[in-house]
Amino acid sequence: MREANHPGDEDELVRLMVAYQAGELAAFEGLYAQLAADLRRYFQATLATRADGAAQDLVQETFLAIHRSRRTYQPGLPVRPWAFGIARNVLGRHRREAWRRSRTENRDARSGAEMAAPAAALALEPRDLAAALALLPASRREAWVLHHVHGLSFQQIAARFRIGVGAAKLRSSRAMRALRAALGVETGGAPDG
Amino acid sequence: MAEPRMDTRMPPELLAIVERGLAPVRPIASPARRVLALLPLGLALLVAIPAFWGLRRNASELGPMVAWGLSGLQALAGLLIVGAALREAVPGRELSARAIAWTVGAALALFAGMTFLTESLVPAATPPGVFGRYAWECFWMAAASSVPVLAAAVWLAGRALPTRPALAGAIYGLGAGIIADAGVRLFCWVSSPAHVLLAHGGAILLLAATGAAAATLVERLKGRKPA
Repeated sequence: MREANHPGDEDELVRLMVAYQAGELAAFEGLYAQLAADLRRYFQATLATRADGAAQDLVQETFLAIHRSRRTYQPGLPVRPWAFGIARNVLGRHRREAWRRSRTENRDARSGAEMAAPAAALALEPRDLAAALALLPASRREAWVLHHVHGLSFQQIAARFRIGVGAAKLRSSRAMRALRAALGVETGGAPDG
Repeated sequence: MAEPRMDTRMPPELLAIVERGLAPVRPIASPARRVLALLPLGLALLVAIPAFWGLRRNASELGPMVAWGLSGLQALAGLLIVGAALREAVPGRELSARAIAWTVGAALALFAGMTFLTESLVPAATPPGVFGRYAWECFWMAAASSVPVLAAAVWLAGRALPTRPALAGAIYGLGAGIIADAGVRLFCWVSSPAHVLLAHGGAILLLAATGAAAATLVERLKGRKPA
């Protein structure tokens, strides 16, 4: 993966950003290719973890925030500080959520009975599912559990975590994919959500 | 040991969300251009307070050049402070710690300097027995008259994406307070520092706190919007 770390590459980022503001999807894909790896490294370093899941989730949320806020970029200015400014914003929100979650952790503790329904749907032992869930990053696990165990809609999950509906779906969907892979369940079933 | 290779493929869910909402957008104007939009409002505020409540009774002792000149200078300084806040609100253009210290320090120094300069030119103390009432009136006049500028600044900064919304809000609240005080000084004839620092300065502090709270609230509400 080529990374934009010198002036010529920054010029390319500016060109892509201007094209993205004009509505070009390919320009967004180009920005993602140029920035995703650096953003992920930033989140891994800031969260002091090598675990890829949480950092990857934050990268996706950052790109969703970039998408929502693309008009706040002023053409001609460097793209990288702007994108990392948004990443800091996302990180701050993530930390506030984590703090809020830690306060309500006990209330969100799942009982074996609550795990039975989704486990049955996947034709598994509840304890297998619980073990597979424990391996997931907290943000994905909670989105999946809230949707599939507690029956919350994605709108409700988004409101609870103060994230977009798309981000809530993304978390749950990635959790479902990871669970299917971990439990050896064949993919291609009903879509998540 | 070699670093593990990172997966930088874009998730299809993300691509689908972006594709769905990919309308062309017009970039927001620079902070300097946006603060220019506030200039008429700031000048209107400067003129409206003495026009509505009357010019300070000792304005002739100051002279029109000094009275209007000092207030005009203060209003312009307030606009510059709001401009700094609008810059702070743009991701990647956040103010450095030194720039923040200079902005806040300059605002407070300007306010105190104007107060002591006016006191030296036309000393006028609050009449006995009405210190509290005068202070209360000036406090609310300054706070209430800044609402249009503060509301406009909340809107302008909210169009960006402040990384530190409380800080951006506090700075534009400070700027709005400085602008409003420039108008109130043209009406309030009391120049004793005790009155000005307590009543006018108290309103400026209230506005800085209100700006911080408003900016934080706006960002939280924006955070709840779906992608």
